[in-house]
Amino acid sequence: MATAKLKEAIKQPWRGQLIRFVPYIAGGIILVVLPAVLPSYLQGIWTKFVIFAIFATSYDLIYGHTGLLSLGHAAYFGAGGYAVALLMLHYGIDSLWLGIPVGILIGAAVAAAFGFIALRVSGMYFLLVTFALAQLLFSITWNVRWLNSPGMMGIAGLPRPDLGIPWFSWSTISLYYFVLVIFLICLFLIYRIINSPFGYALRGIRESEPRMRSLGYNAWLYKYIAFIITGAFAGLAGVLFVYYNRFISPTHIGIMFSFLPMIMVIIGGSGTLLGPVIGAMIIIFVEYFASLFTPERWPLILGGIFVVAIMYARGGVSIHLSRLWEKVSYRYGSV
Amino acid sequence: MEAFRTEGLSKDFGGVHALSNVSFNVEVGEHVAIIGPNGAGKTTLFNLLNGQLPPTSGRIYFFGEDITTMSTHHRAHLGQSRSFQIISLFSNLTVLDNTLITLHGTKRSRFQMFRPTNTYKYLLAKAQEMLTTIALWEKRDELVKNISYGEQRRLETALTVASEPKLLLLDEPSCGLTSAESADITDIIHKLGRDITVLLVAHDMDLVFGVAERIIVLHYGHLIADGTPEEIQADPRVKEIYMGIEENTGNATAS
Amino acid sequence: MEAVLLTFLNGISYGMLLFLVASGMSIVMGLMGIINLAHGALYMVGGYIGWTIAVQYDLNFGLAVFLGGCAGGLTGLIIERGFLRRLYKQPNEQVLVTFGFVYILSNLCVWIWGPRRRLQFTGEALSGLIYLGNIPFPVTRVFTIITGIVVAVVLWWLQDKTRFGAMVRAGMDDKEMTTGLGINLERVSMLVFFLAAFIAGIAGVVGAQLLGVYSWLSTDILVLALVVVIVGGMGSVQGALSGGIVIGLIDTVFKTLFPQFSMFTIYVAMIIILMVRPSGLWGRRI
Repeated sequence: MATAKLKEAIKQPWRGQLIRFVPYIAGGIILVVLPAVLPSYLQGIWTKFVIFAIFATSYDLIYGHTGLLSLGHAAYFGAGGYAVALLMLHYGIDSLWLGIPVGILIGAAVAAAFGFIALRVSGMYFLLVTFALAQLLFSITWNVRWLNSPGMMGIAGLPRPDLGIPWFSWSTISLYYFVLVIFLICLFLIYRIINSPFGYALRGIRESEPRMRSLGYNAWLYKYIAFIITGAFAGLAGVLFVYYNRFISPTHIGIMFSFLPMIMVIIGGSGTLLGPVIGAMIIIFVEYFASLFTPERWPLILGGIFVVAIMYARGGVSIHLSRLWEKVSYRYGSV
Repeated sequence: MEAFRTEGLSKDFGGVHALSNVSFNVEVGEHVAIIGPNGAGKTTLFNLLNGQLPPTSGRIYFFGEDITTMSTHHRAHLGQSRSFQIISLFSNLTVLDNTLITLHGTKRSRFQMFRPTNTYKYLLAKAQEMLTTIALWEKRDELVKNISYGEQRRLETALTVASEPKLLLLDEPSCGLTSAESADITDIIHKLGRDITVLLVAHDMDLVFGVAERIIVLHYGHLIADGTPEEIQADPRVKEIYMGIEENTGNATAS
Repeated sequence: MEAVLLTFLNGISYGMLLFLVASGMSIVMGLMGIINLAHGALYMVGGYIGWTIAVQYDLNFGLAVFLGGCAGGLTGLIIERGFLRRLYKQPNEQVLVTFGFVYILSNLCVWIWGPRRRLQFTGEALSGLIYLGNIPFPVTRVFTIITGIVVAVVLWWLQDKTRFGAMVRAGMDDKEMTTGLGINLERVSMLVFFLAAFIAGIAGVVGAQLLGVYSWLSTDILVLALVVVIVGGMGSVQGALSGGIVIGLIDTVFKTLFPQFSMFTIYVAMIIILMVRPSGLWGRRI
């Protein structure tokens, strides 16, 4: 089977062969090669983009694939981040090998608790409840002294994580590649989940929950598990964010922050694998450019982009990209 | 052997008595049609049998087991399969995806999170076989919302049968179909083995007489007649209710 | 004893404000099936306009309340006609669009009025205290209670005693049937949305007496409105009123008695309701 395909591929004109690899080459250049030659503040932006790509992809699992519109996704992100920050602040534990699993677990645990309450209701109420629960967490981080660095809001001055290797110290670029590796692992895992029977079932639930039940699927259980997985990945993104940003505050649990993965998913294309990644790239880079020229107007721009995207670009950028891709490869490639 | 039995099944919605004290039993392998005017409670009966709604009172036994409070998905594992009056296929998913999801429903592999769906060769083969039988294999990558209504009905009915259920609940399977398409449905039901019990709600008398050996008549939530097609056709109470229907043999208009 | 009465009255007045804030959102939810996440932003817009009229131009406070309502209503109308209308039958997308407007409206207000927070303000006639026995009670709070009662009565009258209200309630129960009866539900929805936005704008000015005006009101108020709707139940005036009073009292009582826990009490109340009676105190069964 594979050798037959290989023979087929070799027979095609060289242009065709090359065209097939363009997206991978482009991806490789953007993600792997380019950052190495950029100035360090831009490397930081790349790191931010990859972290948010994980965050947005986690959101798409529950929104794009399962069809649950939930608000307050930042709660799981923030929970993971705060867990790691608190470990560093109060216990001096900065080991990466402990921080990452803790962040994932806490993110999953918060999602398990919130999901249990929220899944008691459906539709618009579900939205309300996920939102209100996230706000609960927000108000806790705002008010409880122990959750903040002394004398301020949030936790600051966090060190880079300890890899356990004595001679090693982080640079902007090494942190980026580290985050990239984690991202690629996450992407692979999500890819598997999406294409597994479980992932198919989620989409079935999105389309028609009553039918899924009569087919033998315990719809509630699937939604609950998806919620927890989402929380785990979001928590992981939160940990990486703390390692990168070295600061976390209640803002990162607030509703405005919850909005970011949603807009990334919508712009990039929901229910796809790479849509959220593309959306994250667009938003983070537009934010960066806005910060150079009109930083105070960024929320306005963000809101404007979002409204326009919802009104006119329903499938998200990735649909248009994949259509464009089909046209190009058809013309040049005979795939 | 008894496939299922209802005892005093009733369902009230506020002041509306959708079903009142319905009791009957069905043996394994029987093909039974449930008929009655609109509002008689036919779909409500299905919703109670399949677990979408809880009864106000009464009990349901499935192969001897009391399933009155059992969840829908559990009943599917016991062997129930149901089609819906309004097509409820997954319209934004492909024909093949619809089939695979259906086939996984009663398998343990439905919880598998890591292995890609298309590596389940056995299920893929089964899907191919089934889709080829109903002439939809070529359209397997089409989104369900893009195939014709008749094809969707055919797919839904075939999928209901695909999981090899013990009890088939078909709610208006020929609703909206031409007589040729309706004949396809009759075919599918005839090809079923004698282990499969079929309960059918229909307005289409051709389908009813073509498939059922026994007819149950509901009227305002009450079971008023239960017998062979000949007995039902001769029953004066049924004639009274269906006065209008005699002019309307063949496909029903508005359901 | 006086302290108890004072706390109670404070709780009632805060609860009335919460009712004003939540009532519109609750009815829009019940009728249109969507959550207007920009509801808090409409409150904020009303508040800023009210400040401009009452403080910057030093005009009559009643006028400020009215114009604040108009500003809220107009903004809401633009959102509904220009955007929500075009996303017909896509409730998720409608909700998301309103969320986009939270960003837009908040930032626009900062652009126009600057980032500085505006302090509490009120009309001259309303500043001062009235004495209930020995207890000094701010007139602003009395005004809030009265406004709340008036709006509640008007809304209840609209809901239960007018044909318009009957159409709205029918629409909440069964959309298809209602449109099948020849009722132009689109137009009814638009009017309801406008009314809700208008009340939000009024609430913005009335509330400014207590809270002032600032740009992140849009989210602060949204949270309060959502908690009130969850607790009281959506889709009815009674729901918003009972939810508002309950939350107002709980919040005020706990802030007075146990200030260290004040932040969470409303969320705890919300979670209890969700576990025990998810549809809310007055809500239709979910």
